[in-house]
Amino acid sequence: MNLHSRFASRAALALPLLAVLVLAGCSKNKEVAEAAPPPAPPVEAAPAPAPAPPPVEAAPVETAPSLQDQLRPVFFDYDAATLSSDAQATLDANGRLLLDNASVTVQIEGHCDERGTVEYNLSLGDRRAQSARDYLVRYGVPASRLSTVSYGEERPFATGSDESAWAQNRRAHFVVR
Amino acid sequence: MASSTRISSPTFAGITLALVAVLALAAGGVAQAQDEVRIDLEAGADRRIGILVESFVPAGDRAVARPKAVEADPILANDLENSTVFAVARAWDATGASAQGVTAVVNATLTVKGTAVTLSGRLSDFPARRLIAKSEYRGTTAELRRLVHRFADDIILQLTGESGVSQTQIAYVSKAAKSSELWVVDIDGHGARALTAFKAPITSPTWSPNRADVAFSSLRGAGWNIYAVPLRGGAARQLTRAGTLNIAPAWAPDGAEVAYVSNKDGNSEIYLARADGSAPRRLTSNRGIDTSPAWAAHGQQIAFASDRGGSVQVYVMDRDGGNQRRLITGFTYSDSPDWSPRGDRIAFVVRTGGGFDLYIANADGSNPRAVVTGGANENPRWSPDGRQIVFSSNRGGGRGLWITDLRGRSIRRLAVPGAVAANPAWSPRPAQSPGSTLGSAAAPNPGRTTP
Repeated sequence: MNLHSRFASRAALALPLLAVLVLAGCSKNKEVAEAAPPPAPPVEAAPAPAPAPPPVEAAPVETAPSLQDQLRPVFFDYDAATLSSDAQATLDANGRLLLDNASVTVQIEGHCDERGTVEYNLSLGDRRAQSARDYLVRYGVPASRLSTVSYGEERPFATGSDESAWAQNRRAHFVVR
Repeated sequence: MASSTRISSPTFAGITLALVAVLALAAGGVAQAQDEVRIDLEAGADRRIGILVESFVPAGDRAVARPKAVEADPILANDLENSTVFAVARAWDATGASAQGVTAVVNATLTVKGTAVTLSGRLSDFPARRLIAKSEYRGTTAELRRLVHRFADDIILQLTGESGVSQTQIAYVSKAAKSSELWVVDIDGHGARALTAFKAPITSPTWSPNRADVAFSSLRGAGWNIYAVPLRGGAARQLTRAGTLNIAPAWAPDGAEVAYVSNKDGNSEIYLARADGSAPRRLTSNRGIDTSPAWAAHGQQIAFASDRGGSVQVYVMDRDGGNQRRLITGFTYSDSPDWSPRGDRIAFVVRTGGGFDLYIANADGSNPRAVVTGGANENPRWSPDGRQIVFSSNRGGGRGLWITDLRGRSIRRLAVPGAVAANPAWSPRPAQSPGSTLGSAAAPNPGRTTP
């Protein structure tokens, strides 16, 4: 692992904590909040918050990632709306963010890969969005803050007709309203 | 009536097409046929009727009539070719050089006076050239295409006993990156135009039986709802409001009701409401997804897709939701049912590795046969004469509209503007068509005009 990727991983782990602090108006760690690195690509969720990295020259001096950037999508198996353990871990993280930001409402978009008919996929996307919403409601997020909409196969995240693209498109995506 | 026509529909089982038209000969000016001209159309199921189309003869204001006549030639020839009934020999190109297999000939005079057009058409047997039927169509120069379409449909009616579909249209969804619009196009690919300016996702157009409206679903605003827009233009009416997913409308054959899918009570179920969206009644109730309702022609049954049994399969139920049962069996995944206009067949799609094949089965689900295979072939919808099926496909690259005959032997692209076209729906025939036969007796239909 080179320096850069190690930094990215640690930064990704630290991001949710940083942003929560910033968004909550907490000023105790002002020095780290000022130098938030850019959002890292999706990595496996890890619950243990890492110590904040020191400011690095390469990091742009900008605001911390928004709540929108921290709410990660949940991915599904083919023709399924059940939540895998990975999906549940992601929803746990999203749920914590939503509980810590009680004024925020979120729309959960359900998406599908291109296999399946347009009409069936709209219902499947609806089922995925509802599945994610129901989990968050059980987690304690008020249902009134969570709306759902299905895009079916209308808005693929990845174009292409291979398993890699399909896997990225079978998702519930969170949009801060 | 001086002519009688016996028809035995081409069957998919490969049984010989027995199509015998007994046609009346009308000597000019004589009210009743004196003899019978008999064109024996009996042929193999894939045999088309050989017909020679001669160039329109310009008359009247010839300076205007000549280009109009040249314009009309391919319109008529394409209509007859696209009907799947005929193999067309065009007198003006190489196909007209050989009269082999030709049993009928069409010719017409196009008289233009100012903006008034009179199309005087004649259908004769070949090579004897004895008159079978003739007719007149009047309109304006701007209506030329419609006059020719009517002539083509009447020729088909005369030779097969059922009017053609040259005057019908396809409604479809034209897709851009983040928005779609509802469009209509003539089935010869002419005159494509948008019916909506929604700038939002749109799916699943369905025609009202009187052809006045097209209903569809759109994610305009917070959720998916059903809308109906007049074909003649005008604002779309919103038919549903409850729930966040209201999709897949299917207009009942009597025009009074619309079946559709909604999540207003939780998950996707099929409902039946009045055509204005009021008084919805729930027809299905289970934890699976129920979607894609399709009416049988008699309006007493609805086919639909459901994953209640684990995989997506085609089911059928009575119009009140009773008697729900599997209709299509033997496939790991079947979807998108659409009943033929006569109610004797059902088209559907079967999932393959990464796409869909288009199938036809008998109305009871028996005898399924693949029609179009390879790639992703979706959303089959029957033509109103039951001879063809329009579908969306990635054939030939991109995502476009295609029309096939029932054997998958004659498949043509319906070229439309825009990069992506999907979700086609074939319109009913215009109301004036039935009964307006090409005058088989010597009395041409005087004063017959198009609206």
